[in-house]
Amino acid sequence: MKMKVVFLNLLLVVAMAVPASAHFQMVYTPEIAKTKGAETDVKLVFTHPFEAGHTMSMGMPEEFFMLHQKGEEGKTKKYDLKKLLKPITWTSLTNSGEAYEAKLPKKIVRSMGDYTLVLVPAPYYEGEEDIYIQQITKTYMNVGGLPGNWAAPAGLKTEWVPLVKPYAMWTGMTFKAQLLSDGKPVPNADVEVEYMNHEPDMKNNAFKKEANAEAPHDAFVTMGVKTDAQGYVTFAIPKAGWWGFCALGSGPDSEFKGKELSQDAVIWIKAVDM
Amino acid sequence: MKKIIAKLVVVAGLIALSATAALAHSPLCSCFDNGDGTVLCEGGFSDGSTASGVKMFVRDDSGAVIVKGAMNENSEFEFNKPAGHYTVTFDGGEGHSIDIDGSDIVE
Repeated sequence: MKMKVVFLNLLLVVAMAVPASAHFQMVYTPEIAKTKGAETDVKLVFTHPFEAGHTMSMGMPEEFFMLHQKGEEGKTKKYDLKKLLKPITWTSLTNSGEAYEAKLPKKIVRSMGDYTLVLVPAPYYEGEEDIYIQQITKTYMNVGGLPGNWAAPAGLKTEWVPLVKPYAMWTGMTFKAQLLSDGKPVPNADVEVEYMNHEPDMKNNAFKKEANAEAPHDAFVTMGVKTDAQGYVTFAIPKAGWWGFCALGSGPDSEFKGKELSQDAVIWIKAVDM
Repeated sequence: MKKIIAKLVVVAGLIALSATAALAHSPLCSCFDNGDGTVLCEGGFSDGSTASGVKMFVRDDSGAVIVKGAMNENSEFEFNKPAGHYTVTFDGGEGHSIDIDGSDIVE
Protein backbone atom coordinates (compact mmCIF):
# COMPACT_ATOMS: atom_id res chain seq x y z
CA MET A 1 0.00 0.00 0.00
CA LYS A 2 2.74 2.39 1.03
CA MET A 3 4.63 1.54 -2.12
CA LYS A 4 1.58 2.42 -4.18
CA VAL A 5 1.32 5.84 -2.53
CA VAL A 6 5.01 6.49 -3.06
CA PHE A 7 4.66 5.48 -6.72
CA LEU A 8 1.66 7.78 -7.20
CA ASN A 9 3.52 10.62 -5.54
CA LEU A 10 6.47 10.02 -7.81
CA LEU A 11 4.20 10.09 -10.86
CA LEU A 12 2.75 13.36 -9.64
CA VAL A 13 6.22 14.85 -9.22
CA VAL A 14 7.21 13.73 -12.73
CA ALA A 15 3.99 15.16 -14.17
CA MET A 16 4.55 18.49 -12.41
CA ALA A 17 8.15 18.65 -13.52
CA VAL A 18 7.07 18.99 -17.16
CA PRO A 19 7.49 22.72 -17.78
CA ALA A 20 4.28 24.68 -18.07
CA SER A 21 4.89 26.05 -21.53
CA ALA A 22 2.14 27.05 -23.87
CA HIS A 23 1.12 26.33 -27.42
CA PHE A 24 1.78 29.31 -29.63
CA GLN A 25 1.06 29.78 -33.30
CA MET A 26 3.96 31.66 -34.85
CA VAL A 27 3.77 33.84 -37.96
CA TYR A 28 7.42 34.75 -38.19
CA THR A 29 9.63 36.87 -40.41
CA PRO A 30 12.92 38.23 -39.05
CA GLU A 31 12.58 41.91 -39.99
CA ILE A 32 9.26 43.70 -39.50
CA ALA A 33 10.42 47.34 -39.50
CA LYS A 34 11.69 47.62 -43.05
CA THR A 35 13.30 50.75 -44.47
CA LYS A 36 12.49 49.64 -48.01
CA GLY A 37 10.18 47.03 -49.44
CA ALA A 38 11.75 43.65 -50.09
CA GLU A 39 10.98 40.00 -50.79
CA THR A 40 9.89 38.57 -47.45
CA ASP A 41 10.18 35.04 -46.09
CA VAL A 42 7.51 33.98 -43.61
CA LYS A 43 7.32 30.79 -41.52
CA LEU A 44 4.15 29.45 -39.93
CA VAL A 45 4.99 27.19 -36.98
CA PHE A 46 2.78 25.87 -34.16
CA THR A 47 5.11 25.34 -31.24
CA HIS A 48 6.25 26.16 -27.71
CA PRO A 49 8.47 29.19 -28.33
CA PHE A 50 10.13 29.79 -24.95
CA GLU A 51 11.69 26.37 -24.81
CA ALA A 52 11.75 25.72 -28.56
CA GLY A 53 9.84 22.68 -27.39
CA HIS A 54 7.36 20.30 -28.97
CA THR A 55 6.28 21.47 -32.44
CA MET A 56 2.76 20.44 -33.43
CA SER A 57 2.02 19.41 -37.03
CA MET A 58 -0.19 21.98 -38.73
CA GLY A 59 -2.82 21.21 -41.34
CA MET A 60 -3.37 23.44 -44.38
CA PRO A 61 -4.53 26.78 -42.91
CA GLU A 62 -8.09 27.92 -43.48
CA GLU A 63 -6.87 31.41 -44.38
CA PHE A 64 -3.57 33.23 -44.74
CA PHE A 65 -3.69 36.77 -46.03
CA MET A 66 -2.08 40.18 -45.79
CA LEU A 67 -3.67 43.60 -45.33
CA HIS A 68 -1.75 46.62 -46.59
CA GLN A 69 -2.56 50.26 -46.00
CA LYS A 70 -0.56 53.36 -46.83
CA GLY A 71 -1.46 56.32 -44.59
CA GLU A 72 -4.35 56.52 -42.18
CA GLU A 73 -6.72 57.65 -44.92
CA GLY A 74 -5.46 55.14 -47.48
CA LYS A 75 -7.45 52.21 -48.84
CA THR A 76 -6.84 48.77 -47.34
CA LYS A 77 -5.64 46.22 -49.88
CA LYS A 78 -6.01 42.51 -49.18
CA TYR A 79 -3.62 39.93 -50.63
CA ASP A 80 -4.36 36.21 -50.47
CA LEU A 81 -1.15 34.48 -49.39
CA LYS A 82 -2.55 30.94 -49.08
CA LYS A 83 -1.53 30.15 -52.65
CA LEU A 84 2.10 30.95 -51.73
CA LEU A 85 2.23 28.38 -48.88
CA LYS A 86 4.64 25.47 -49.11
CA PRO A 87 4.89 22.67 -46.53
CA ILE A 88 8.12 22.44 -44.53
CA THR A 89 9.35 20.44 -41.56
CA TRP A 90 10.25 22.59 -38.56
CA THR A 91 12.78 21.21 -36.10
CA SER A 92 12.50 22.15 -32.44
CA LEU A 93 14.89 21.04 -29.70
CA THR A 94 12.75 17.98 -28.96
CA ASN A 95 11.03 16.96 -32.21
CA SER A 96 10.01 17.94 -35.73
CA GLY A 97 6.58 18.98 -36.96
CA GLU A 98 4.84 19.94 -40.16
CA ALA A 99 4.78 23.69 -40.75
CA TYR A 100 4.49 26.10 -43.68
CA GLU A 101 6.51 28.80 -45.35
CA ALA A 102 5.74 31.52 -47.87
CA LYS A 103 7.94 33.78 -49.94
CA LEU A 104 6.17 37.11 -50.39
CA PRO A 105 7.31 38.67 -53.68
CA LYS A 106 8.73 42.19 -53.56
CA LYS A 107 5.92 43.51 -55.76
CA ILE A 108 3.43 43.06 -52.89
CA VAL A 109 5.79 44.28 -50.12
CA ARG A 110 7.15 47.28 -51.99
CA SER A 111 4.94 50.20 -51.03
CA MET A 112 5.31 52.17 -47.82
CA GLY A 113 2.82 51.53 -45.05
CA ASP A 114 1.54 48.87 -42.67
CA TYR A 115 1.26 45.20 -43.50
CA THR A 116 -0.75 42.82 -41.31
CA LEU A 117 -0.10 39.12 -41.78
CA VAL A 118 -3.20 37.19 -40.72
CA LEU A 119 -3.33 33.44 -40.20
CA VAL A 120 -6.48 31.44 -39.51
CA PRO A 121 -5.05 27.96 -39.02
CA ALA A 122 -6.95 24.69 -39.34
CA PRO A 123 -8.10 23.55 -35.87
CA TYR A 124 -5.42 21.33 -34.33
CA TYR A 125 -6.48 18.22 -32.41
CA GLU A 126 -4.75 18.10 -29.03
CA GLY A 127 -5.01 14.46 -28.03
CA GLU A 128 -3.90 14.94 -24.44
CA GLU A 129 -6.80 17.27 -23.72
CA ASP A 130 -9.20 15.80 -26.34
CA ILE A 131 -9.90 19.28 -27.69
CA TYR A 132 -9.23 21.28 -30.84
CA ILE A 133 -7.14 24.47 -30.76
CA GLN A 134 -7.31 27.23 -33.36
CA GLN A 135 -5.03 30.19 -32.78
CA ILE A 136 -5.95 33.09 -35.05
CA THR A 137 -2.68 35.01 -35.34
CA LYS A 138 -1.51 38.45 -36.44
CA THR A 139 2.03 39.72 -37.09
CA TYR A 140 2.67 43.26 -38.32
CA MET A 141 5.27 44.74 -40.66
CA ASN A 142 5.93 48.30 -41.80
CA VAL A 143 7.81 49.73 -44.75
CA GLY A 144 9.31 53.20 -44.70
CA GLY A 145 7.80 54.38 -41.40
CA LEU A 146 4.51 55.53 -42.93
CA PRO A 147 1.71 54.20 -40.72
CA GLY A 148 -1.52 52.78 -42.05
CA ASN A 149 -4.09 50.54 -40.41
CA TRP A 150 -2.06 49.05 -37.53
CA ALA A 151 -4.66 50.20 -34.98
CA ALA A 152 -7.69 48.93 -36.91
CA PRO A 153 -9.35 45.55 -36.36
CA ALA A 154 -8.95 43.09 -39.23
CA GLY A 155 -12.52 41.83 -38.72
CA LEU A 156 -11.50 38.40 -37.42
CA LYS A 157 -13.62 36.15 -35.20
CA THR A 158 -11.25 36.97 -32.37
CA GLU A 159 -8.21 39.23 -32.46
CA TRP A 160 -5.92 41.64 -30.65
CA VAL A 161 -6.10 45.29 -31.69
CA PRO A 162 -2.88 47.05 -30.67
CA LEU A 163 -2.80 50.55 -29.19
CA VAL A 164 0.98 50.76 -29.66
CA LYS A 165 2.66 50.17 -33.02
CA PRO A 166 3.64 46.49 -32.75
CA TYR A 167 6.61 46.95 -35.11
CA ALA A 168 8.09 50.00 -33.33
CA MET A 169 8.81 48.90 -29.77
CA TRP A 170 11.95 49.74 -27.82
CA THR A 171 12.86 47.32 -25.06
CA GLY A 172 11.14 48.50 -21.87
CA MET A 173 8.17 50.06 -23.61
CA THR A 174 4.67 49.10 -22.53
CA PHE A 175 2.58 47.23 -25.03
CA LYS A 176 -1.17 47.69 -24.88
CA ALA A 177 -3.84 45.91 -26.88
CA GLN A 178 -7.55 45.22 -26.75
CA LEU A 179 -8.97 41.73 -27.15
CA LEU A 180 -12.03 41.39 -29.38
CA SER A 181 -14.45 38.54 -30.05
CA ASP A 182 -16.87 39.17 -32.93
CA GLY A 183 -15.75 42.80 -32.71
CA LYS A 184 -16.64 43.19 -29.02
CA PRO A 185 -14.17 43.60 -26.11
CA VAL A 186 -13.50 40.49 -24.02
CA PRO A 187 -13.14 41.30 -20.28
CA ASN A 188 -11.30 39.13 -17.77
CA ALA A 189 -9.85 36.78 -20.39
CA ASP A 190 -6.88 34.55 -19.59
CA VAL A 191 -3.85 35.59 -21.61
CA GLU A 192 -0.57 33.74 -21.93
CA VAL A 193 2.58 35.67 -22.75
CA GLU A 194 5.70 33.99 -23.99
CA TYR A 195 9.14 35.10 -25.14
CA MET A 196 10.63 33.56 -28.28
CA ASN A 197 13.70 32.41 -26.44
CA HIS A 198 15.43 30.58 -29.29
CA GLU A 199 16.00 32.47 -32.52
CA PRO A 200 14.45 30.82 -35.56
CA ASP A 201 16.98 29.63 -38.14
CA MET A 202 15.25 30.62 -41.39
CA LYS A 203 17.59 28.61 -43.61
CA ASN A 204 17.38 25.31 -41.75
CA ASN A 205 13.75 25.61 -40.57
CA ALA A 206 14.75 25.07 -36.97
CA PHE A 207 15.16 26.82 -33.65
CA LYS A 208 18.73 27.68 -32.70
CA LYS A 209 19.99 25.74 -29.69
CA GLU A 210 21.18 28.79 -27.75
CA ALA A 211 18.63 30.28 -25.38
CA ASN A 212 18.57 34.05 -24.77
CA ALA A 213 17.10 33.83 -21.28
CA GLU A 214 16.67 31.37 -18.45
CA ALA A 215 13.45 31.14 -16.46
CA PRO A 216 13.98 30.93 -12.68
CA HIS A 217 10.62 29.19 -12.26
CA ASP A 218 7.99 27.57 -14.49
CA ALA A 219 5.65 30.53 -14.03
CA PHE A 220 8.17 32.66 -15.93
CA VAL A 221 8.12 30.40 -19.00
CA THR A 222 4.52 31.24 -19.83
CA MET A 223 3.42 34.36 -18.03
CA GLY A 224 -0.20 34.82 -17.08
CA VAL A 225 -2.08 38.08 -17.38
CA LYS A 226 -5.75 38.94 -17.69
CA THR A 227 -7.65 41.48 -19.75
CA ASP A 228 -9.33 44.26 -17.76
CA ALA A 229 -13.04 45.15 -17.77
CA GLN A 230 -12.70 46.69 -21.26
CA GLY A 231 -10.65 43.84 -22.70
CA TYR A 232 -7.28 45.63 -22.52
CA VAL A 233 -3.94 44.14 -21.61
CA THR A 234 -0.83 46.16 -20.80
CA PHE A 235 2.57 44.55 -20.60
CA ALA A 236 6.02 46.14 -20.32
CA ILE A 237 8.56 44.40 -22.55
CA PRO A 238 11.64 43.51 -20.49
CA LYS A 239 13.91 42.13 -23.20
CA ALA A 240 14.62 42.65 -26.89
CA GLY A 241 13.15 40.11 -29.25
CA TRP A 242 9.79 38.59 -30.03
CA TRP A 243 6.89 38.41 -27.58
CA GLY A 244 3.66 36.52 -28.18
CA PHE A 245 0.30 37.17 -26.50
CA CYS A 246 -2.33 34.43 -26.63
CA ALA A 247 -5.89 34.87 -25.35
CA LEU A 248 -7.31 31.46 -24.52
CA GLY A 249 -10.74 30.54 -25.85
CA SER A 250 -11.64 34.15 -26.62
CA GLY A 251 -13.32 33.37 -29.95
CA PRO A 252 -17.04 32.79 -30.52
CA ASP A 253 -16.68 29.20 -31.83
CA SER A 254 -16.57 26.59 -29.08
CA GLU A 255 -17.02 23.31 -30.96
CA PHE A 256 -15.34 21.56 -33.86
CA LYS A 257 -16.18 18.07 -35.13
CA GLY A 258 -18.22 17.38 -32.01
CA LYS A 259 -15.39 18.26 -29.65
CA GLU A 260 -14.51 21.33 -27.62
CA LEU A 261 -12.69 24.03 -29.57
CA SER A 262 -10.42 26.61 -27.98
CA GLN A 263 -10.48 29.49 -30.46
CA ASP A 264 -7.60 31.71 -29.38
CA ALA A 265 -6.24 35.10 -30.48
CA VAL A 266 -2.48 35.58 -30.88
CA ILE A 267 -0.44 38.68 -31.63
CA TRP A 268 3.35 38.94 -31.98
CA ILE A 269 5.42 42.02 -31.32
CA LYS A 270 9.14 42.67 -31.61
CA ALA A 271 11.19 44.90 -29.31
CA VAL A 272 14.66 46.23 -30.08
CA ASP A 273 17.30 47.69 -27.77
CA MET A 274 18.08 51.41 -27.86
CA MET B 1 -9.68 98.14 -32.85
CA LYS B 2 -9.55 96.08 -29.67
CA LYS B 3 -11.66 93.44 -31.40
CA ILE B 4 -9.26 93.31 -34.32
CA ILE B 5 -6.28 92.92 -32.00
CA ALA B 6 -8.06 90.15 -30.12
CA LYS B 7 -8.77 88.39 -33.41
CA LEU B 8 -5.15 88.80 -34.48
CA VAL B 9 -3.98 87.30 -31.18
CA VAL B 10 -6.28 84.30 -31.69
CA VAL B 11 -5.05 83.85 -35.26
CA ALA B 12 -1.44 84.14 -34.14
CA GLY B 13 -2.13 81.60 -31.43
CA LEU B 14 -3.66 79.20 -33.94
CA ILE B 15 -0.69 79.60 -36.26
CA ALA B 16 1.68 78.90 -33.39
CA LEU B 17 -0.36 75.82 -32.41
CA SER B 18 -0.53 74.43 -35.93
CA ALA B 19 3.19 75.05 -36.37
CA THR B 20 3.87 73.02 -33.22
CA ALA B 21 1.66 70.21 -34.46
CA ALA B 22 3.45 70.20 -37.81
CA LEU B 23 6.82 69.85 -36.08
CA ALA B 24 5.67 66.72 -34.31
CA HIS B 25 5.46 64.72 -37.51
CA SER B 26 8.14 64.07 -40.05
CA PRO B 27 7.92 63.79 -43.82
CA LEU B 28 8.39 60.43 -45.50
CA CYS B 29 9.08 59.72 -49.15
CA SER B 30 10.22 56.63 -50.98
CA CYS B 31 10.68 56.04 -54.71
CA PHE B 32 11.18 52.95 -56.79
CA ASP B 33 11.93 52.22 -60.40
CA ASN B 34 8.90 50.54 -62.00
CA GLY B 35 11.22 48.87 -64.50
CA ASP B 36 9.21 50.19 -67.47
CA GLY B 37 10.93 53.55 -67.87
CA THR B 38 8.91 55.17 -65.09
CA VAL B 39 9.61 55.96 -61.45
CA LEU B 40 6.98 55.95 -58.69
CA CYS B 41 7.36 58.02 -55.53
CA GLU B 42 5.16 57.60 -52.48
CA GLY B 43 4.91 60.03 -49.62
CA GLY B 44 3.21 60.80 -46.38
CA PHE B 45 3.86 61.93 -42.83
CA SER B 46 4.85 59.90 -39.80
CA ASP B 47 1.43 60.47 -38.18
CA GLY B 48 -0.22 58.75 -41.13
CA SER B 49 -1.50 61.97 -42.72
CA THR B 50 -1.64 62.32 -46.49
CA ALA B 51 0.97 63.95 -48.70
CA SER B 52 -1.63 64.73 -51.36
CA GLY B 53 -0.78 68.07 -52.99
CA VAL B 54 2.85 68.15 -51.83
CA LYS B 55 5.02 69.62 -54.61
CA MET B 56 7.50 67.29 -56.30
CA PHE B 57 10.55 68.29 -58.33
CA VAL B 58 12.99 66.27 -60.37
CA ARG B 59 16.31 68.02 -61.06
CA ASP B 60 19.29 67.15 -63.21
CA ASP B 61 22.92 67.53 -62.12
CA SER B 62 22.95 71.26 -62.95
CA GLY B 63 20.04 71.79 -60.56
CA ALA B 64 17.61 72.57 -63.36
CA VAL B 65 14.06 71.33 -62.80
CA ILE B 66 13.25 68.75 -65.47
CA VAL B 67 9.95 67.44 -64.05
CA LYS B 68 7.51 69.31 -61.84
CA GLY B 69 4.28 68.10 -60.27
CA ALA B 70 2.52 67.17 -57.05
CA MET B 71 1.55 64.09 -55.05
CA ASN B 72 -1.87 62.84 -56.20
CA GLU B 73 -4.81 61.85 -53.98
CA ASN B 74 -3.08 58.54 -53.18
CA SER B 75 0.11 60.40 -52.15
CA GLU B 76 1.87 59.10 -55.27
CA PHE B 77 3.86 60.84 -58.00
CA GLU B 78 4.95 59.05 -61.15
CA PHE B 79 7.32 60.39 -63.79
CA ASN B 80 9.37 59.20 -66.75
CA LYS B 81 12.84 58.21 -65.63
CA PRO B 82 15.38 60.79 -66.84
CA ALA B 83 18.29 59.53 -68.97
CA GLY B 84 21.04 60.95 -66.77
CA HIS B 85 21.64 61.36 -63.04
CA TYR B 86 18.78 63.05 -61.21
CA THR B 87 17.47 64.04 -57.78
CA VAL B 88 13.87 63.92 -56.57
CA THR B 89 12.63 66.54 -54.10
CA PHE B 90 9.56 66.04 -51.93
CA ASP B 91 8.78 69.67 -51.04
CA GLY B 92 6.68 69.50 -47.89
CA GLY B 93 7.66 73.05 -46.83
CA GLU B 94 10.34 74.26 -44.48
CA GLY B 95 11.78 71.41 -42.43
CA HIS B 96 9.58 68.97 -44.31
CA SER B 97 11.53 68.45 -47.52
CA ILE B 98 13.33 65.32 -48.63
CA ASP B 99 15.87 64.89 -51.42
CA ILE B 100 16.34 61.44 -52.90
CA ASP B 101 19.36 60.67 -55.07
CA GLY B 102 18.32 58.97 -58.32
CA SER B 103 21.07 56.37 -57.88
CA ASP B 104 19.23 55.16 -54.74
CA ILE B 105 16.05 54.57 -56.70
CA VAL B 106 16.04 50.94 -57.78
CA GLU B 107 13.49 48.34 -58.83
